Amino acid sequence: MKQPTPPLSPDSTPVRTEVHFKRFTLGQRWEHAILLLSATILLLTGLPQKYRDTSWSQYILSTPERVELVQQIHHITALILTALVVYHLGHAILLLARRKLPGNMLVSWQDIRDTWKMTKYLLFLSKEKPEFGKYNFEQKVTYWFIFFGVGIMVVTGFILWFPEAWTRLFPGGIIPAARLSHSTEAIVAAAFVIIWHFFHVLIERLNLSIFTGWLNAEDTRTYHPLEYQRLGGGSTEKSETGDSQ
Amino acid sequence: MARFDPHRRWLAFILAGISVLIVGFGFAASAWAQEEPGDTETYCLSCHANPDLAMELPSGESLSLYISPEMLSQSIHSPLGIECQACHTEITSYPHPEVTAQSQRELSLDLYEACAKCHSDNYDKTQDSVHAQVMADGNENAPICTDCHGAHDVHPPDQPRANISTTCGQCHTAILEEYKNSIHGGALIDEDNPDVPVCTDCHGVHNIQDPRTSQFRIESPEMCAGCHADAELMEKYGLPADVYSLYNLSWHGVDVNVYKANWPTIWHESAVCTDCHGVHNIRTTDDPASMVNPANLLSTCQNCHPGVGPNWTGAWTGHNQISLERTPFVYYTDVFYSLFAPIVLWGSAIYVVLKILHILIERTRRSLK
Repeated sequence: MKQPTPPLSPDSTPVRTEVHFKRFTLGQRWEHAILLLSATILLLTGLPQKYRDTSWSQYILSTPERVELVQQIHHITALILTALVVYHLGHAILLLARRKLPGNMLVSWQDIRDTWKMTKYLLFLSKEKPEFGKYNFEQKVTYWFIFFGVGIMVVTGFILWFPEAWTRLFPGGIIPAARLSHSTEAIVAAAFVIIWHFFHVLIERLNLSIFTGWLNAEDTRTYHPLEYQRLGGGSTEKSETGDSQ
Repeated sequence: MARFDPHRRWLAFILAGISVLIVGFGFAASAWAQEEPGDTETYCLSCHANPDLAMELPSGESLSLYISPEMLSQSIHSPLGIECQACHTEITSYPHPEVTAQSQRELSLDLYEACAKCHSDNYDKTQDSVHAQVMADGNENAPICTDCHGAHDVHPPDQPRANISTTCGQCHTAILEEYKNSIHGGALIDEDNPDVPVCTDCHGVHNIQDPRTSQFRIESPEMCAGCHADAELMEKYGLPADVYSLYNLSWHGVDVNVYKANWPTIWHESAVCTDCHGVHNIRTTDDPASMVNPANLLSTCQNCHPGVGPNWTGAWTGHNQISLERTPFVYYTDVFYSLFAPIVLWGSAIYVVLKILHILIERTRRSLK
């Protein structure tokens, strides 16, 4: 628990009020939870299949029945993930049709400029830190990497699940290519999420807003100042100076 | 020391006596052995060299008792001094003990056990073979030593090497015909090629196992690899020696290896070498009759993947390293990931490390202020 900083609270009442801003809808929170669970199950059931020639894999897949069971779990979970992808895309298309798609997750030139600014800032070439909106470029990288990663996994996964059907329309070469891609993309994606996403939401700061739906005013002001202003939290200039704890 | 001198003298006498006896026996034995060659043989052949000598068995079969002296002298045993009595131990002189066998086959079954006297190791191996099992199940025609090696006309079995395969072909006639037309059999019979496998190279010699078991099936790729992973041998014929290692990375190969390591007794359908290349009828890939010739490949795949379309064969990377010409899809996927993976992972890792360093440096600066 943080102590209220004395210079800021001479007039304030002893009751400490914390303002929270709505960050994610219930639907988005459910989407994330399902993605998190299904991806974890898919990874855990996929790894022993990828590394079948290792002893730890053969310890897990100790009988042919277990191999089949693990494959069935993988397939069922894959269907859940596919349903999520369909919902996510369908929902986005629906919002787009109603002209209600926020569009704040789309990559813009501002993100490129922010990346450049941030790199200079991290290398101590500049003291100026870029100011972010609701989604900063780090979060956009996370979203779009997972967006395309899941896309690749779903498509290649279905190629591997129904190779006979796919080769009726496409050349046979896509089967071994899908196998290589499915197997490699999984490892790259898992490593990326651990390095990049886990660092940003667990280590740099604990950000559980995707589970709770709310982000407190202080974090919003610090990490998403433009969003803070948009939500009517006032100018961030003053708060940044008062922010030095 | 002096006390023991007499004893020593006695000891010397005894040792001298023993050596005289040993040398004496040695001479006697060699003299006996020198007298022996041809003696029993001549004695036996005095009757058995008669081409008309025969007897009727209770089965009604006529049993020829003729032994060709020429054949005997060309066999491996007779010139080494291993003569009639070495095998026919029950016969010491004339008249012979009565023949109790009812038929020729019964007689052979009675007499072939004599091989075990000298060749006990090979005899014991045959007892574990599929042939012995068939015999135990009541098929008296299952082969015994003399069916393959001959009785009085035993020769080294592999001179020429093709003899081994034609010997098996006496019973396995259809398989021999298939084999003769295969790349292996053709090279053996036409060129006496020393490198191609004869029957026994894959099936074993005396302890031949049933090749229809799951265990034989699952271990068969390793058997092919015995030659086809031998770089020196394959280079001689311009064949790649990495087919086995690449197979082991393939969908089929990984699966087969898991079964081989864990469940060799469970029958598994994942393709082994012989499922696509054939067994006794293996031909070169460019032979139009080869199961893996591009013209026949689809129907070979359809043996296990019924109803797949013509594009299916393109899924097969054919024991080849990834290359632009043969497997463009895999090639470009491989190129993509060999760029994408390091860029993403190094990029994100460097960014995160920079951020951690920045936070630590800022924090230190603040605390120093």
